[in-house]
Amino acid sequence: MITFALAKGRLATESAKLLARCGVDTAVLYEETRKLVLSSADGNFRFFLVKPSDVPVYVEAGVADLGVVGKDTLIEEDRDIYEMLDLKIGECSLCLAGYPERKDVLTSPALRVATKYVNTAKRLFSERGEDVEIIPLHGSIELAPVTDLSDVIFDVVQTGSTLKANGLVVLEEIFTGITARLVANKVSLKTKSAEILPLIAKVKEEVA
Amino acid sequence: MANSRLPAGVQDVLPRECSILTELKLKLEKKFSSAGFSPVLSAGLEYYETFSGKENAVPEERMFKMTDTDGKLLVLRPDTTLSIARIAATKLNSDRARLSYFADKYDLENGGGLSSREIYQAGVECLGEEGAFSDAQCIAFAIECLKEAGLRDFIIDIGHVGYFKGLLEESGLSPFQAEDVRACINRKDTMNAERLLKKAGVSGDALNNILALPALFGSREVFSVAEALTHNSCARRAVDDLKNIDRLLTAMGYEGYISYDLGMIKPLSYYSGILFSGLVKDLGAPVLSGGRYDNLADAFGKHMPAVGFAMGLKRILVALERQGALPEEKKPLVIVAEEGQEAPAYREFLARTERGERVRLSALTGKEGVKQEEDAGYEVLPVGGNA
Repeated sequence: MITFALAKGRLATESAKLLARCGVDTAVLYEETRKLVLSSADGNFRFFLVKPSDVPVYVEAGVADLGVVGKDTLIEEDRDIYEMLDLKIGECSLCLAGYPERKDVLTSPALRVATKYVNTAKRLFSERGEDVEIIPLHGSIELAPVTDLSDVIFDVVQTGSTLKANGLVVLEEIFTGITARLVANKVSLKTKSAEILPLIAKVKEEVA
Repeated sequence: MANSRLPAGVQDVLPRECSILTELKLKLEKKFSSAGFSPVLSAGLEYYETFSGKENAVPEERMFKMTDTDGKLLVLRPDTTLSIARIAATKLNSDRARLSYFADKYDLENGGGLSSREIYQAGVECLGEEGAFSDAQCIAFAIECLKEAGLRDFIIDIGHVGYFKGLLEESGLSPFQAEDVRACINRKDTMNAERLLKKAGVSGDALNNILALPALFGSREVFSVAEALTHNSCARRAVDDLKNIDRLLTAMGYEGYISYDLGMIKPLSYYSGILFSGLVKDLGAPVLSGGRYDNLADAFGKHMPAVGFAMGLKRILVALERQGALPEEKKPLVIVAEEGQEAPAYREFLARTERGERVRLSALTGKEGVKQEEDAGYEVLPVGGNA
């Protein structure tokens, strides 16, 4: 049996469709249920639907053998897992965004950056040698510059429509080609290779 | 009230777990000794400089540091292999040594989950020997140790740094760039490896060969694929090494326990040859890790090629638990003295301990003592004057 950790949210539907095309029985993912552990009818697969940032945690611990999660989360979490395939779905970029002209705030000389990607932002600005104030948020990041909680935001941008609706623009694209990835536990890949490798090969063919 | 909590990343080991851990240690001690290894115990505190040298680098941010009274920087044992190499090179008057150890090592980074900041390890180091037979013996012994520990469904996954080094030679990367690429390859992240390599101006075969590494795992079939990729002599020697080791291990009867991964390139920079990890089906992290480090002792003034491995004993315990292979808890037989019969009861207790039985002499006596011990779930032996 192969256990999957799948990211809830923007990748959920597309990754389920992709797995179905590769012969994974995903019918159980569409059932109306409050169960947290979902098993396929044929007993070959088990799924956990978790918050994106938790996918690498489940896979690193080996509780899940495989996972589907965005590259943005992998950069942020930096876990000891195998990144097997680029699934080429849910493409977006990690960007710095804000008002076209930065408003100078007298009492706050350091740039204030609101983000969900705290570790990535810290690494980015320390590599650049810039002192910034990082403001950790969990959702609706665009609200931060609008309400003057921050000067800019560091977030994923897919279509840019939320930015536009709030008068914000992309100031700089930091990481492009952020897509969903198939990740694997380092031990499962070797100890369950007879089950896992053929599936990975199928997915690879499907996304090629 | 005094602080009863522990800092993050460390655990107390309670009696039930500790007794199993002790039993595991005893089994392995016997195994090490019967295979000709001599035990050593390196100091728990060492100078920071010993571990921070650029060849031996344990990452600075992962060492527990403190200052000595003379202002020198000290660390809490961050790595045991390096200490053992130091001992063998500077304190033993021999060109060869087979040493074993049981020790805690400390890692400031707190990974959570299966990672701990205090790691209880058992390991062996075969110093002053080289060649495929030495490597094969070491891997065979690793398999025997995991068997002795009671594990099943495990494999030893074997790689070789020489192959990656050879491919790097062809690419012309600087050591700094190479480290970033190594990290990507080790996580099988081909995409970022490609981005880094292209940025560094690597192209053609050199690029494609490095990018092929993450897929070079499986059984001995990977050797021919690996050979076909490159003519680099260092890389070719690495494959020859692995072929010899594979031939020996197969002849020694360990074929079913081994797999290969040329994309496994561990971060500790002192490895110079084969690398291997012990993987158990029921645990998401390796229980054993080892490799060849031919130049590690050079820094201590003596060339001693060596190979060795360490096992994480607490991880083995978790794996045993998941495999349902933990031994039953053995409760002691409780001896309760009848009223006024303390001395005979003590003699009975002493005689049984000398026979190696597990017994406890209760501090309670008489009928009430028997009742209380029985209520606590023990098997009770009342001892009176005529016992």
